[in-house]
Amino acid sequence: MSAPPRRRAVVTGIGVIAPNGTSTEAFWKSTQEGVSVLDRVTREGCTHLPLKVAGEVRSFDPSAVIEERYIVQTDRFTHFAMAAADAALEDARLGRADTEDRPFSAGVVTAAGSGGGEFGQGELQKLWGKGSRYVGPWQSIAWFYAASTGQISIRRGFKGPCSVVAADEAGGLDALAHAVRAVQRGTDVIVAGSTEAPLAPYSMVCQLGYRELSLVDDPARAYRPFTEGACGFVPAEGGAMFTVEELGAARERGVPVRATLAGHAATFTGASCWERSREGLAEAIRGALAEAGCAPEEIDVVFADALGVPEADRAEALAIGDALGAHGRRVPVTAPKTGTGRAYCAAPVLDTVAAVLAMEHGLIPPTPNVFDICHDLDLVTGCARPAQVGTALVLSRGLMGSNSALVLRRGAADAT
Amino acid sequence: MSDRITVEELSELMKKTAGVAVSPQELAERPDVPFEELGIDSLGLLGIVGELENRHGVPMPPDAERCKTPRKFLDLVNSTFLAGA
Repeated sequence: MSAPPRRRAVVTGIGVIAPNGTSTEAFWKSTQEGVSVLDRVTREGCTHLPLKVAGEVRSFDPSAVIEERYIVQTDRFTHFAMAAADAALEDARLGRADTEDRPFSAGVVTAAGSGGGEFGQGELQKLWGKGSRYVGPWQSIAWFYAASTGQISIRRGFKGPCSVVAADEAGGLDALAHAVRAVQRGTDVIVAGSTEAPLAPYSMVCQLGYRELSLVDDPARAYRPFTEGACGFVPAEGGAMFTVEELGAARERGVPVRATLAGHAATFTGASCWERSREGLAEAIRGALAEAGCAPEEIDVVFADALGVPEADRAEALAIGDALGAHGRRVPVTAPKTGTGRAYCAAPVLDTVAAVLAMEHGLIPPTPNVFDICHDLDLVTGCARPAQVGTALVLSRGLMGSNSALVLRRGAADAT
Repeated sequence: MSDRITVEELSELMKKTAGVAVSPQELAERPDVPFEELGIDSLGLLGIVGELENRHGVPMPPDAERCKTPRKFLDLVNSTFLAGA
């Protein structure tokens, strides 16, 4: 008995709400120009805290893109998610009418690291300031990690597989892998990705416990991975959503295939055990290459995790060499997130967007604010580098010990 | 504050607690359109009931949050106020 033909998951749509742009076009323009938008924290109630620099989304007006009831009932991270999901579906030319008759053919997967902290803080303040009778009913869902998946599915009428990866930063890549599996199992469309909104007082105080957080107050010096000046990472908000679709379904609809999600693997090596992350990240890379049927030499660019902590940077540089061999020292490596900050689970999703755009434009974006590399890596700095990019590798690690790798191929890859 | 809930107050509460805009006129003219159709689900109605209780200092019957239409809701809430007066 021969195996049934494998269903392939491809990207047909992208939606971005990032510190450096609230559309895919604006994000790419800023990313390929190497613009850094890291700046002093301006959010109300946060400016007295020791975290001084972050990547804030400043040009997003939820009321312009989301119905008022969703604004009242959900947190900022869900506003981002709904707006990015709309953009990703529009990019894929999937309107409400396309899924109305087949609601079970579409689902949602998101990853969330911090949930709706700002909304939750407001309700807790009512609880302790005025009493339990003043806590509104939306608290029961708005703060929750699963809120974005739930609200996107409700708002768009999707009844297919819905799930949430409530995990570490690397969960952003794992969410895309979940979407691929759902498509392989028979669902035509999954809206997948991650958005985060951790720049509010309560959420920010929670992060102050991370010893990897950069407290440097100069936006140009606060986040410089792979250099002698590495002093931790700068947090950010925002994120991205993808329309992940079955290749045959995309072709039937006649929409362009932007990329193929070819391989993924994840490992775990323990919270803040950065030296051990070398082995875990290398194993994740090997697993992702194996699933993609991809030789190390085929990788045209690596989007690094780039934590900005010396032992973590060293572990990552070594892991790339361990997994890719001699090619690891030649392959261009980049970390555009040094210009926007790390939006936790959304950080590797934004990197995945940048990887798709790098393949489409034949241009590897640079690593802002980073010069004088102290590791054996060909890190792209200064200006974007023109290159034929057919295959990209995206890496992510979380503070709690997760390591993930994702291999992407340009367009429909070698599918026939 | 009035001891009777008007369509004006219900309209204002729907907007404030659930983000759903329905004018008082519309509520008055079509009081039998289900909350569900207006975009108010069970959590939305729960929020409206809670806000009413806080404002007026009167507990609402448990059935209040199960009312299907603005007419049924206003009838129940106002009879509760009347009984308490």
